[in-house]
Amino acid sequence: MRAFGQRTAVAGVDLVLPAGHRVGIVGPNGAGKSTVVRMLATLATPDSGTLKLFGHACPRDANRARGSLGYLAHDPLVYLDLTAWQNLELFADLYGVSRGRDAIAAALDRVGLLARALDPVRTFSRGMAQRLGIARLTLHAPRLLVLDEAYAGLDAAGTALLDGVLEALPADGGVVLVTHEIERAIALTDEVMVLRAGRIVETVSTAGLDTAGFLARYRGIAG
Amino acid sequence: MSLTWRQLRALLRKDLRIELRTRETIAAMLLFAVVAMLIFQFAVAQRSAEVTLLAGGFAWATIALTAVLGVGRTWVPEREQRVIDGLLVAPVPRLVFLVARTVVLVVYLTAVELVVMPLAVVFFAPDTGLSDLGLVLVSGLVANVGIALVGAFLASMSVFSRARELLLPVLFLPVIVPNVIAAAGAAYAVLGPAPDVADYRGYCLFLGVYAVTFGLVAYAIYDYVLDD
Repeated sequence: MRAFGQRTAVAGVDLVLPAGHRVGIVGPNGAGKSTVVRMLATLATPDSGTLKLFGHACPRDANRARGSLGYLAHDPLVYLDLTAWQNLELFADLYGVSRGRDAIAAALDRVGLLARALDPVRTFSRGMAQRLGIARLTLHAPRLLVLDEAYAGLDAAGTALLDGVLEALPADGGVVLVTHEIERAIALTDEVMVLRAGRIVETVSTAGLDTAGFLARYRGIAG
Repeated sequence: MSLTWRQLRALLRKDLRIELRTRETIAAMLLFAVVAMLIFQFAVAQRSAEVTLLAGGFAWATIALTAVLGVGRTWVPEREQRVIDGLLVAPVPRLVFLVARTVVLVVYLTAVELVVMPLAVVFFAPDTGLSDLGLVLVSGLVANVGIALVGAFLASMSVFSRARELLLPVLFLPVIVPNVIAAAGAAYAVLGPAPDVADYRGYCLFLGVYAVTFGLVAYAIYDYVLDD
């Protein structure tokens, strides 16, 4: 449970994510999606209840779990006044990435920014900055990707890039995807949860899902 | 190299790179400090025969007010460019953030001190020898550690506050008052009419104890300051 003043953002969410499982979280505005995902990313702590990531109790042992997490939101979470290379160098050091220079070059190459490696991010377009955010996301080979509206602001190439990151995850790589795009959540995850007023009101497996029927039900739930 | 050391080095390098590129903080601090010293010089020094007594006080009033600028800029790029979540989700012990911020502020304050103290000597105590100026700078360096620790700690406390620009100076200045008084006292013990080595040492000891005490308090509770 998590409240902000008198407002309860998350009232009851039970979520077990086995290794390699991919879950999408959808819901109307104010449903508590971002609060749930911030708790999973160790950026917010529940007021009550328990949160364990990779077996580590959070927030007490959150730092042990953080190295295995990759977090991307609608902002790329990079410094505008540093170059693309300097940004990735910073995060490589913070995550203790071995052979950092090779990893940075490879990450920049993957997102098509190697030629702009020495340019300040301030000179990048929104889509380019978000591609750098994708490079930051994958630099330390996380075991769980936590994506909060990460597709926002991406052009077609950037969208394909992030799709590719999810496809290229190892078999034990998990994903939590928060999005307003229901079809995307269905396409990319094993299970979709509908959140409303801080509670999970429906959970469906995406295997063989009747998408049209689910979307109709979702519109009813979301109001 | 241990991971913690690598993280600390990376955070320091990041702050200094941003400062080198933007030159926002240090330039504003130095300009403010020089202008404040000029104001003291024209407003008071030319009208007072015993201005030497006030040299340390003028210098430390200037440094304390200048520190507000530097502390106020702490965490600003992270807030404005929305990078803070990217830092906090990384496996960095929270104390490393405090140490990095403190070191950067010490660098800024020392740069200010290296300008302000010679100006104080030239304007208010022109008979001061180089060795005495050196002593004042040494006590100032110890004082800078205390000021930087307090500033880094309070800046982190207020990082998520909407009224940060108001809150930070209101919290920061009262907490550093004992430190500033002791630093001015150490300067007076050297630059004043009757230099007193014992007084100087006493003030330096106080400055050291202040920094260590605040460092221990920060060590005990800083984890809770940055985490939600």
